[in-house]
Amino acid sequence: MFLITELIALLAANLILMQALGTSTLFIAAGSSRNLIGTASVITVFTTAGSAAAYLINRFTGQKYSDFLLLFYVLAVGILYIILLAVFYLAGKNKFEQSRKYIHISAYNCAVMGTIFTISDKAGLSAENFSLLDYVTCGFEAGIGFILAAFILTAAYRKLNSSKVPSSFRGFPAMLVYLGIISMAVYSLK
Amino acid sequence: MNKPKNTLTSGFLGDNTVLSGLMVISPVIMCGDTLKNALALVYAFSLITFFSVMISSFVPKRLPYAVKIIIYAVISALIYIPVKLLAQEIYPEAIGRTGIYFPLLAVNSLIVHQTEAKFFRMRKLEMTGSLVFYILGFDAVMLLTGVIRELFAYGTVYNRMVDMNTLISGIAQPFGGFIFLGLLCGIYRKIRSMAAANENAEKEAENVSDN
Amino acid sequence: MLKKIKSERYVWIDVTFTLLALELMAYFYYGIRTLVTAGICIAVSLIAELIFLRFTHRKFTADDLTCTSDALIAALMVPAVIDYKIPAIACVFAVIAAKNIFGGRRNMIFSPAAVAYVFILASWKKELLSYPAPHDKADILDSAAELTNSATYVFNHTGSMNYTDFELLLGNFSGPIGAVSILLLIVAAVILILRRDISWGAFVGTVAGTGFMAYFCPIASNSILSVKYVFATNMILFAAIYIISDLRIAPKRNYYAFFYGFFIAISSYVLMITTGQENIIVIMSVLFTPLSLAFKNLQKRIDNEKLLEAEAAAEAVLEAEVTAAEEAVAETEDKADIEAVETEGTENSEEEVSEEEAISSDDESEEAEAVTEEVPSDTETEQEEPAAEEEKAEGDDSDE
Repeated sequence: MFLITELIALLAANLILMQALGTSTLFIAAGSSRNLIGTASVITVFTTAGSAAAYLINRFTGQKYSDFLLLFYVLAVGILYIILLAVFYLAGKNKFEQSRKYIHISAYNCAVMGTIFTISDKAGLSAENFSLLDYVTCGFEAGIGFILAAFILTAAYRKLNSSKVPSSFRGFPAMLVYLGIISMAVYSLK
Repeated sequence: MNKPKNTLTSGFLGDNTVLSGLMVISPVIMCGDTLKNALALVYAFSLITFFSVMISSFVPKRLPYAVKIIIYAVISALIYIPVKLLAQEIYPEAIGRTGIYFPLLAVNSLIVHQTEAKFFRMRKLEMTGSLVFYILGFDAVMLLTGVIRELFAYGTVYNRMVDMNTLISGIAQPFGGFIFLGLLCGIYRKIRSMAAANENAEKEAENVSDN
Repeated sequence: MLKKIKSERYVWIDVTFTLLALELMAYFYYGIRTLVTAGICIAVSLIAELIFLRFTHRKFTADDLTCTSDALIAALMVPAVIDYKIPAIACVFAVIAAKNIFGGRRNMIFSPAAVAYVFILASWKKELLSYPAPHDKADILDSAAELTNSATYVFNHTGSMNYTDFELLLGNFSGPIGAVSILLLIVAAVILILRRDISWGAFVGTVAGTGFMAYFCPIASNSILSVKYVFATNMILFAAIYIISDLRIAPKRNYYAFFYGFFIAISSYVLMITTGQENIIVIMSVLFTPLSLAFKNLQKRIDNEKLLEAEAAAEAVLEAEVTAAEEAVAETEDKADIEAVETEGTENSEEEVSEEEAISSDDESEEAEAVTEEVPSDTETEQEEPAAEEEKAEGDDSDE
């Protein structure tokens, strides 16, 4: 019971189905299982670590520098971007070559930046103080949400790209409508 | 003679930012439910993208890819600050309504990824023209989406009542945005393939008459 | 192929007959408006289907009439007095966005009727969930005097129902016009299962899942009452028959279909008791579509693996035969050589050997040809979709 309610909660707060963040990246990720795992994992790392960075930025800058918030977030993600590339570079040339494209796609992705802004907004509106753990948990959940949405799309990928689909709607348009219908069902649960 | 013209304007119709490239679709889906929101986003997107790409074009090409991307994003985030301050004067309500999608425009894929893949491979003048058409392409889709969704969801256009006796409130929701954009994308592709077919037929007819 | 086309049509006819029976019952309880709503839904769906098929340069065949049964299902899920425009718009939406954009009846992803219902729920929730009382008949252009919550709403929020078993069986309580006639639905289920018009695996899975949950986590005061009321409300039976067990949507194998239905039922029940929302099973059936597709993909992968194994086994047998033939030839050659050496060779023996060689090599080439003829035909049929994907890539390119 708990698992089902949690799953539905994850869907209801899904950054793709309910906020349309990172949709284009999802379309790329759903193309193959390798891309899916690579992109989803890197995005999860970015959302989780980015949320932790957002916690520190929000804590030390406050409302006074709200206009500069985007700049700070961009710099934080930039640092994460370099760190992640460096880690994979040190891990070995093969690993670096394999994962480089996923890091490039994910760094300044709407899913990552959107998650950071969403969590910051949530923390700002919340009466309780959001701890670092809350930020990290929200960031991780957003990454898991991306994976869930990617699996939803992957299941229908073949059908949406089948030659039976009218050529004008084959591929991206059909994917958008498909996600729209799933999103509609999630919305109806509210 | 036709080729450069085609490349220059292709961002508006032939290779539309949203409908063809599926870039910057989240603001269209989430905030393109009223014309007012659409106008605010069009204003922000146009200014931020144009100035960011133009300034970023002076960044040395020899730098590593990741460093260049970070610099483009930082430039864009810096341009966002005056744009936001100005928007607070022109569209005070829209900033609140568009929420996180307003700052997200500053890290759109046209600035972060397409600069390297497309714009910086062109000459400066050509790049400027092409960029303008890519921006106009996004603006047109955003406005069209805003008008149609507002009309069917709220029965208004720019907050003015229009005589609609059945409203479909769902079209203003994110799922409505997904489905509407999917349909629009399909119709756009259909029109484009029909236009291409007509063009081919005309060319064939010309070839026959030449022979 | 002909058999497949025929069976599709027969399924449509059978389903339509059972739906008409429900429609007749709805007419008895709510009057002429129910018939008009159904008529409008059917007409609008048919027109939308025709227009879209014309738009995509496809021919309208008798199989495309399935859109009428989908329209009828959608019409039976709404209240009797709903504004005609609402189900009409929902039907157009379902035919275009939930069906034909994905390739129509040849490539179904969602149940059009379920999508139509969810679309109405997302846009006109109040209108969809306000019902007239039974026998409160409205004229074609009238609306009901008083609208109330459905019996489902009362049950989900209070855990009790004030209806006799007879009333429950005959559908004499407020709710969606076609989903309350429990007796008719049971009869329809039996007929459709016996005639193999619905996936019995999915149906049994849904019924088992709901029954299991209702018994062990009762909403009503006791488990038996809970099971009874749960099946009479929340469109459980209606959705189990016409939406979840739809042959076009449910996984083909009953084993997978059972779990598909079971998961839908369990998650619907959990949400029903935690949120109290009505008819949540229809929403869940849309949400679980990816699961059905995943089961279908899994099934296809297993079938392909089995086929590959069979092909490999056939190839091994063939190879064994070929090597045996080769060995036989080699042996004959050796014998001939020995004989030639021994007898210092005669022209006749050499000719025989060469003839034998010729015969054996002819046999080999014929067999090889037969194999090469067989293998591609199998590959074509089994790998229909990957080929389609290639076509898609070409299509996309041309599109671009």
